[in-house]
Amino acid sequence: MKRIVMKFGGTSVSNGKNICNVANIIRKNSKKGHEIVVVVSALANVTDQLIEAANKIKSGKEENIQKFVNKLFEKHISVINEAIKSEKIKKETKNKVKKVIEKLEKILKGICYVGELTLKSKDQVVSFGERLSSIIVSATLNDQKIESQHFTGKEAGIVTDSKFGEANPLMNFTTQQVINQLEPLLEKKIIPVVTGYIAADQDGIITTLGRGGSDYTATILGFVLNVDEVWIWTDVDGIMTSDPKIIKEAKTIDGLSYGEAAEMAIFGAKAMHPRALEPVIKKHIPVRILNVFNPESKGTLISEGPEVESKEVVKAIALIKDVSMINIKGAGMVGAPGSYAKIFNILGKKNINIMMVSSAVSEANISIIIRRNQIERAMSTLEIALLGNNSGNEVSYEDDVCVIAAMGANMKGSMGVASRIFTAVANKNINIRMIAQGSSELNISFVVKEKYGSLAVNAIHEEFKLNK
Amino acid sequence: MRIILTGYGVVGQSLIDIFENQKFENLKKYGFNPKVVAITDRGGAAVNKKGLDLERIKKVKTREGSVAADKKFGQPQAIAQSIIQSTEAEIMIEATSTNVVNAEPGLSNIKTAFNSGKHVITTNKGPLALAFPTLTELADHNKVLLRFSGTVGGGTPILEFAKKCLSGDKINEMQGILNGTTNYILTEMAEKRVTFKKALELAQKLGYAETDPSMDINGIDAACKVVIIGNWIFNKKFTLKDVKVNGIKNITLKELNNATKKGKRIKLIGSINGKPTVAPKEIRRNDPLCVSGVLNAVTFISEYAGKQTIIGRGAGGIETAGAILRDLLDIKYNLANRMLL
Ligand SMILES: NC(=O)c1ccc[n+]([C@@H]2O[C@H](COP(=O)([O-])OP(=O)(O)OC[C@H]3O[C@@H](n4cnc5c(N)ncnc54)[C@H](OP(=O)(O)O)[C@@H]3O)[C@@H](O)[C@H]2O)c1
Repeated sequence: MKRIVMKFGGTSVSNGKNICNVANIIRKNSKKGHEIVVVVSALANVTDQLIEAANKIKSGKEENIQKFVNKLFEKHISVINEAIKSEKIKKETKNKVKKVIEKLEKILKGICYVGELTLKSKDQVVSFGERLSSIIVSATLNDQKIESQHFTGKEAGIVTDSKFGEANPLMNFTTQQVINQLEPLLEKKIIPVVTGYIAADQDGIITTLGRGGSDYTATILGFVLNVDEVWIWTDVDGIMTSDPKIIKEAKTIDGLSYGEAAEMAIFGAKAMHPRALEPVIKKHIPVRILNVFNPESKGTLISEGPEVESKEVVKAIALIKDVSMINIKGAGMVGAPGSYAKIFNILGKKNINIMMVSSAVSEANISIIIRRNQIERAMSTLEIALLGNNSGNEVSYEDDVCVIAAMGANMKGSMGVASRIFTAVANKNINIRMIAQGSSELNISFVVKEKYGSLAVNAIHEEFKLNK
Repeated sequence: MRIILTGYGVVGQSLIDIFENQKFENLKKYGFNPKVVAITDRGGAAVNKKGLDLERIKKVKTREGSVAADKKFGQPQAIAQSIIQSTEAEIMIEATSTNVVNAEPGLSNIKTAFNSGKHVITTNKGPLALAFPTLTELADHNKVLLRFSGTVGGGTPILEFAKKCLSGDKINEMQGILNGTTNYILTEMAEKRVTFKKALELAQKLGYAETDPSMDINGIDAACKVVIIGNWIFNKKFTLKDVKVNGIKNITLKELNNATKKGKRIKLIGSINGKPTVAPKEIRRNDPLCVSGVLNAVTFISEYAGKQTIIGRGAGGIETAGAILRDLLDIKYNLANRMLL
């Protein structure tokens, strides 16, 4: 018997049929004797719709609220009709949903009248997606004769600071409250269904957890309830060696260390946000990434220790598109003490995120990778700051490039990995424009022209036999 | 540096010509790389966040009458304010026609630019004449810069002369011929003894006066400049309605002859010495202020430097565009210093 937190994402609960599927998974695991805590996201797309509606309503007409609220109600009612059989439970659930949506309507009206959407009120609005989905998932379990009870993050006892939009949990306070709320249920084999993503501050005002979202709720509960494992149910078989759209032979990775998983997320792989990993790292709790639509596949295990010790040096390869490379040349700026810091500072002030840096001190040259949609702002800013006054600086850019990142914990200290990577790429006659290694030494990333991106990824995939 | 240009007439087109012709030579040494991301006129706008192809936009304007006719980047009927709001740029240059009734559309354009964090250069005097104190306050409040060298003296750096060259000194008084059109008319009348009507017709024929010359003749144009000098150089807070204005319409040949006999000339003089005024006044012929033709001249009397007169052409598309360029470089260096702090 294990104690497990299971988190189900938006696609897993996108309609009645999928919710029944989720209930089946929970039932099977519960039959095996596991103690289960369920965390759910909002129905697919509902969170985005809520945000969009709130933004529109703040400067819009009151009538639009009714329209939006009716549509939202219809959507959830049709899911209930599909997921739940018992007429009695159906009726109860519809009533609950109706009451919750009435509350939402009042809040939207408030926003409309005041004409202002603060981070605080936005968190309120957004929380309704999960409130509704948790009610329906819990009712579906009850309908299938599995005892269950639904909770908002606040009701479950998760307490955060008041940083609305991206709140941080107060772990000790949370531990005390969650144990009081949920332990008695688990002992009685009642399954709590908790809203992901949302919590409350010490005054009971709704907050949201921001980056990491519902996964973060799952790992916080895992930490607090000392679970054996956290299972993240998604719509893919686990974390892949590369994007299957680029590499047909890409396969699921069996095991990753926490560090590797965090690295993958930074490079945009469909993985967990590093923030959400923090609580499980502290208590060494393993996390599984599983597929709701293929529950028998073993997925990817994220953990530390012997299970993930493997011989592979490169475990995964990511291709990051939509980036641009800026080259800064010149004796005036580059090489002088503090000059890099100045460049980063200038760009930072304009909200331009630097994804990668590399420099060649001898050539007084620095290259920077940023998101492509920020290139105009970045170039204009750098030109204003660095050119003229006989500085001799030059700034130029290329926006037909992409970044390739090869990741794996065993790269650390393993000589020759870089040389194998670059040889594999060179053998395809691809010119490498820029190279950088993250300080963690868990990845080697480099830049090539975008048109050679998938060719380069394939070359490395082959070289390290990731398809085997 | 990304630029939005509102108003694409004589001044706007001259500025674009400068960008085109000097791109690789003169401007480069200043580290100034202009990228015009939007241009607006009465027909709408042309917008490209990567920078418009200026040669092509110019052809479209000449051929179709509006930049909005551009097939790829044109936005017919677009409202300038929403373009200003939604287009990322460091600077907006305001060069729409002067309007002294409500200063629109220039005033709203400038306010919108401030509100969306853009620095502003204007050659349009209207907004400054009607709302100088408001605009400088709003610029400070939004932490952006407002420059307007081209509004007084066209390309002649009258404002910079007083503000920068005489900085530290205390300027007590200003007198100036601030309008080229009226100065041309008065010069013609005095020297060729032609009537006001004749002189005006000639000025129109030569392109020195507009088809509707009333702003010049009535002294309003000069009064606008007095407002700008008064606020900027003398730190006085006032607007157009506070200036006592008399034009040149009623000046007779007889008055001019009388003046000539005394060794003087009648000139339309804007002055700040106590109350700001614009009025015809007799000036000694050997006074450096007594310039002829379309020239402008301004005399500043300051505590230490004494009497200084600066003379130059007071208008012209390319001259005024040159003033915009000076403002652009001034803003560029200001921003660079801010960023590198
Ligand atoms: N020319 C000079 O020597 C000189 C010197 C100093 C200062 N200035 C000032 O600089 C400004 C521009 O002068 P200019 O000689 O270039 O004038 P202009 O040739 O008449 O050009 C004015 C421009 O503004 C546009 N415009 C006018 N009203 C508009 C409106 N309501 N909405 C949108 N666009 C409008 C016009 O659009 P269309 O092209 O569609 O007609 C045109 O592109 C004026 O304020 C003038 O007083 C001029």
